[in-house]
Amino acid sequence: MIELKDLVKKFGDLTAVNGINLSVPKGEFFAVLGPNAAGKTTTIKMIAGLIKPTAGSVIVAGYNIQSEPLQARKRLAYVPDFPFLYEKLTPLEFMQFTGQLFKIAPDRVRSESSILTKRFHLEPFLNKSIEGLSHGTRQRVAIASALLHDPEVFVIDEPMVGLDPQHARIVKDILKERSKEGMTVFLSTHQLSVAEEMADRIGIIHQGKVVAIGTIDELKKQSGQDGALERSFLQLTAEPDKTTNQS
Amino acid sequence: MPSSESIDPACPEKSAFALLAGVHLKQNWRRFASVLKQSKLLSITVLTFIAGYCWLSFALFYRAMRFVGSFPGLGDLLVERMIFILFAFLFALLLISNMVISYSNLFRNKETSFLHSLPISPNSIFQWKFLESTLVASWAFLFLIAPLLAAFGIVERVDWTFYPLTVVMILLFVILPAIAGAWSAIGLARFMDRRFFQYTTLGLAILTLLTLAFWLKPDVVTDDMLETRVMLVLDRLLKNTQFSQFAFLPSYWLASGVISWSEGAYSATFFFMLVLLSYGLFWGRITSTMAGMPFYEAASAVQSRGSLTSSWKWWQRWQEKKAKRLNQWGPGLLERFCSILFWIPSDSRAVLVKDVRVFWRDTTQWGQSLLLFGLLAAYIINLKNFSSQLNNPFWIHLISYMNLGACSLNLATLTTRFVFPQFSLEGKRLWIVGMAPLGLNKVISIKYTLACLVSMGITGTLIFTSCRMLKMPAPQIAYFTLVIAFMTLTLNGLAMGLGVIYPNFKEDNPSKIVSGFGGTFCLVLSFLYIVGGISLLALASPWRDHQQIWIIASGWTCFAVLSLVLGYLPYHIGVRRLRHLEI
Repeated sequence: MIELKDLVKKFGDLTAVNGINLSVPKGEFFAVLGPNAAGKTTTIKMIAGLIKPTAGSVIVAGYNIQSEPLQARKRLAYVPDFPFLYEKLTPLEFMQFTGQLFKIAPDRVRSESSILTKRFHLEPFLNKSIEGLSHGTRQRVAIASALLHDPEVFVIDEPMVGLDPQHARIVKDILKERSKEGMTVFLSTHQLSVAEEMADRIGIIHQGKVVAIGTIDELKKQSGQDGALERSFLQLTAEPDKTTNQS
Repeated sequence: MPSSESIDPACPEKSAFALLAGVHLKQNWRRFASVLKQSKLLSITVLTFIAGYCWLSFALFYRAMRFVGSFPGLGDLLVERMIFILFAFLFALLLISNMVISYSNLFRNKETSFLHSLPISPNSIFQWKFLESTLVASWAFLFLIAPLLAAFGIVERVDWTFYPLTVVMILLFVILPAIAGAWSAIGLARFMDRRFFQYTTLGLAILTLLTLAFWLKPDVVTDDMLETRVMLVLDRLLKNTQFSQFAFLPSYWLASGVISWSEGAYSATFFFMLVLLSYGLFWGRITSTMAGMPFYEAASAVQSRGSLTSSWKWWQRWQEKKAKRLNQWGPGLLERFCSILFWIPSDSRAVLVKDVRVFWRDTTQWGQSLLLFGLLAAYIINLKNFSSQLNNPFWIHLISYMNLGACSLNLATLTTRFVFPQFSLEGKRLWIVGMAPLGLNKVISIKYTLACLVSMGITGTLIFTSCRMLKMPAPQIAYFTLVIAFMTLTLNGLAMGLGVIYPNFKEDNPSKIVSGFGGTFCLVLSFLYIVGGISLLALASPWRDHQQIWIIASGWTCFAVLSLVLGYLPYHIGVRRLRHLEI
């Protein structure tokens, strides 16, 4: 469903993504972890087709995002950490707009919107202007709208930002459910607990490279650390001691 | 279950362009309705202001054209040239405005990124964004040009067909700078990062101003020449404006079409209309079908911080050296400079340094200021070249008051654009700035002082120089310099005060903060203050013949009261509101 082949992205002299090879099969819930500036968001932006790779390719649902962008994006949903919403529209109008962009029949938009708004507890806000909604509610509107066209691939950056525990639970449940039904989820987060709880496999990106990949047990094995995922993560992303190097 | 099955091929298909247009129409209508709902008084004030502006500019253009047109034997020629020059300058302004607006709308806009992640072709996104940028960049042009053309039509006694015809020609005309502006924006975004763009803009602005200052420098004309060789003098006077009649300038086609119709040369008008139409269609077709990919590439480069300079080794080495120097913990150049101001407390200096840095790093801020005041500076420097021909004190004083008006109008646009949103922008950083022991009142007062000092440095210098160029005596120079200082304090106080009274903490983009209720109110009040203030001063001018002392005294008092009310009151109310501010 998602295939990254020798993916490289350079920003001038800085190599943000350095030859990532990764394959996420259909229906897998894949979480990507990494320290700040590891290259997670850059990788996600390349998957969503927002930026061009310096080298390598991204295949989404069988389509190259650069050479067949429209085919790929029809099957893709992307929700950034701070999603864009039209401030003066209502959540209902925004969902209708999204449905029309994806050329979904109006009846289907209505029925899907109704289901999603119920699931995401958005009913009290449906006819309110988006500009007056809290960050958490906006985040739920964005996720619900992104799910409207039943994407085959769902890419989401920091989904839990601004969500209270109750709504975070709802989002987790829906994403897990959809993943079991066949939707591939590619999630980037700093919250290790989210990855630990949700992901079938976890990839750890550090300095633009995938330094470890696998299930939680496999990661623990690779890092040589037992116990919480945090220990494996810290071990795998540890900076080399500069004083030792110098000596 | 998921997938493209959900995409219904039989679904009544609306193009992405139509969908985007619909959403934006809805959004803008709601914005307009909420402004109407917010304050009927403000809506009426804005409408009255627009009507007043149209009437005033029409009256000015009409009188100017009548005056110029009344020169025996030369009137028509001069009016004609005036139209060519005005259209050429408006074309240049429209081009710059399109470039700046296209750049921010295409590449600094969250909606663009959102649309790029949807199944919409880059071409469709570009087409919508192009239309949006063209509308935003061109509406002001229509406001500028409508009173001018109305005045021209009445002076030339044209029939009614002239007016609908000019509307069609203007619509055809605005497409061309819009296309050029959009392509320039794509080129800039593709090959320049922020820093490179800053240096290039600065270099180009200086070069343009120097060229303008040199190019517009008129020749010295003696009284003898004025009496005996008028045509030669006229020819010499107009030779520097011949660029406006360059046959490949779109402004030339528009001006020629308009003038030809007023002269009854209808076939010539149709010819120029067809020229505009063919260029519009040709470039419009190329742009609407081929700009998609370059636009996507440029958008990707902007997000990747890509720049032409990344392949220049010397530039990279210079940047590395600079970064190394900046990484050292010692104070920067600005901090060292500010440390000279030892009487200012260190916390206030920190806010000062931060504000100057933020201003410098936002190219659009100083870029626009530079352009506006640079043009004014080029004009003022050139005043000396024809001041020798101004013997009549009436003209000298008229020009001085007009300079005062131009300078303060420039300042009003800048205070509204930059000073008004200062507090709203700071709102996002209130967790640090507002919570610091410094206090918000102090932050506002530092911002106000900095804005006043910087703007007064510019406006004071410009007015002082213009008076010197006009060879005015010292008391008059002091008078005009003092007046502009007073107006600078007032305009900054008004913008800062209204910015605190009507904050918008949700918005990051200063231009969007300004376009709200408070920003519009600030602009309207600033303009009304300038018109009112300068009218009072002109009426009470002590250099008018047989001027009575009580008129001078009451005019100056009214001006002082007006300045005090508009400069101090909003600032004072704003500062008082800060005490009860809840965010």
